[in-house]
Amino acid sequence: MNTTDFLSIAHAICPERDCMVFGGKRRTYARTNDRINRLANGLSELGVGKGDRVGIIHVNCSQYIESYYAVTKLGAILVPLNFRAKAGELSYMIANAEAKVLLMGNRYIDLISTILPQLPTVKQLISIEGRNEGMLYYEDIIDSSSSGECICEIDDEDITILMYTAGTTGRPKGVPLRHSAFVVYVLENVEPASPEIEEKNLLTVPLYHVAGIQAVLAAVYGGRTLVLMSQFEVKEWMETVQREQATRAMLVPTMLKRIIDDPDFTRYDLTSLQVITYGAAPMPFEVIKKAIDLMPWVKFINAFGQTETASTITMLGPDDHIIKGTKEEREKKLKRLTSSIGRPLPDVEVQIIDEDGNSLPPLGVGEIVAKGSRIITDYWGNEGKSLHLLTSDGWLHTGDIGWMDEEGYIYLVGRGDDMIIRGGENISPEEVEDVLYSYSKIEEAAVIGVPDPEWGQQPRAIVVLKKGEDGTAEEIMEYCRSRLAGFKRPASVIFIDSLPRNPMGKALKRELREQYGQP
Amino acid sequence: MSQLGKRYRCQECNTEILCTKAGDGAPLCCDKEMEVQEPKPIASSD
Repeated sequence: MNTTDFLSIAHAICPERDCMVFGGKRRTYARTNDRINRLANGLSELGVGKGDRVGIIHVNCSQYIESYYAVTKLGAILVPLNFRAKAGELSYMIANAEAKVLLMGNRYIDLISTILPQLPTVKQLISIEGRNEGMLYYEDIIDSSSSGECICEIDDEDITILMYTAGTTGRPKGVPLRHSAFVVYVLENVEPASPEIEEKNLLTVPLYHVAGIQAVLAAVYGGRTLVLMSQFEVKEWMETVQREQATRAMLVPTMLKRIIDDPDFTRYDLTSLQVITYGAAPMPFEVIKKAIDLMPWVKFINAFGQTETASTITMLGPDDHIIKGTKEEREKKLKRLTSSIGRPLPDVEVQIIDEDGNSLPPLGVGEIVAKGSRIITDYWGNEGKSLHLLTSDGWLHTGDIGWMDEEGYIYLVGRGDDMIIRGGENISPEEVEDVLYSYSKIEEAAVIGVPDPEWGQQPRAIVVLKKGEDGTAEEIMEYCRSRLAGFKRPASVIFIDSLPRNPMGKALKRELREQYGQP
Repeated sequence: MSQLGKRYRCQECNTEILCTKAGDGAPLCCDKEMEVQEPKPIASSD
């Protein structure tokens, strides 16, 4: 079974139900499947075939999901690109993926044009939103192509998505995700489409994020209507829930905080919501507690995972969000709500290991490692050379530090590496440091994460200027503005005389965090 | 009750099937009629 079967199943069971609602347009599963077939046939005419990579850069839209399925029906691989990425980051990802075709929204055309000379593998550009010179127009391809069903032999172990994630050592890493990784999860956790059950999923998590793609695949298999927002905006989100009577939504903690803190929160009817899933970053206790108080009818789920694990591997379920029982039980549940990511899903093994790789007993603090058929074994193009991805006996290093209680609940303590997570987006400090080092006035630089009530963490640059140079925080942030995606730019800069370093010359991030890590 | 969209499980070998096109017949496995499965009580995380 592969992910295209999810669409065939929902199309067979509920063809006249809305598959997607976006930008004032509603399209049924039958209509969506027809458009996907046309796009797939059009892409096939352009030479896209099995194993080819097709990149896409755009905010969330219905065409994004159509493109995923069209590419997948051909046995090809979609490469979702972070729409906040800058030229250098994008050209690296597209070149690394060796993408043959690129689909893009209007706002990214100029950016792609500037890097195109560095991308020899790219043979065709497709404009999603309108006709543009030198490009094919998405709707023209659909209008001019056959709607016949595409038949391509797809193996469960074929790669369906190549997704880039921030690495701890600078450059983004390509994570090849197989059909089986999504199929195993969806079949285990999602009820298939039913003519009797109608659900609507409001999707705001970006589709270049694994949680966004997982939500799409779960929704399609479940025959749910996907209500898409191009980007999260708090009032639009509440208005959309009310108008569409959305039953499910996925949010990162920053989004949930904005919703419950909005002065107009009580003006909207959000009672249609049955499930809110959150994850991608630690949830402040005050935020989830307030959300439970304000929306007692909602089942909250904390889902924890990574791109490398094809999304969710542990879950703190709805029952864990209901604080009741004896005093002892209430205290236990409150503790879990504060810092637990729940228990592993049935198809995943999770354990805590010490620095020597030994499994720790309950309550022992160490690195969280995971094993299971959904977990990747190597990064794209590394051919067995992805050092430190897996332990010698095949457990994935998550990079997260935590412990497990006697009942198998896992608690997060922090990151084992220097990764910064801002509003659910991973930031590699080294990538930001590379940009800082390219500035002529900077002698030394290190980037750390600083706690932030809105975003969870914000990057902070610790800078040593070259002798005789004068510099301001504003000019350094301005320098980063054109070279880094917005979320990666340092939100503050601190000037010091020299960086603390170990005997090998490595900057001591722990010391920097202790001294300069407070807001 | 329409079979469309229903999951059936064999009580002998645990094979599970999903009906995507309904008909007059009833699904059999291991020489026995398969049992209709109720929707899972736990909400999925998506």
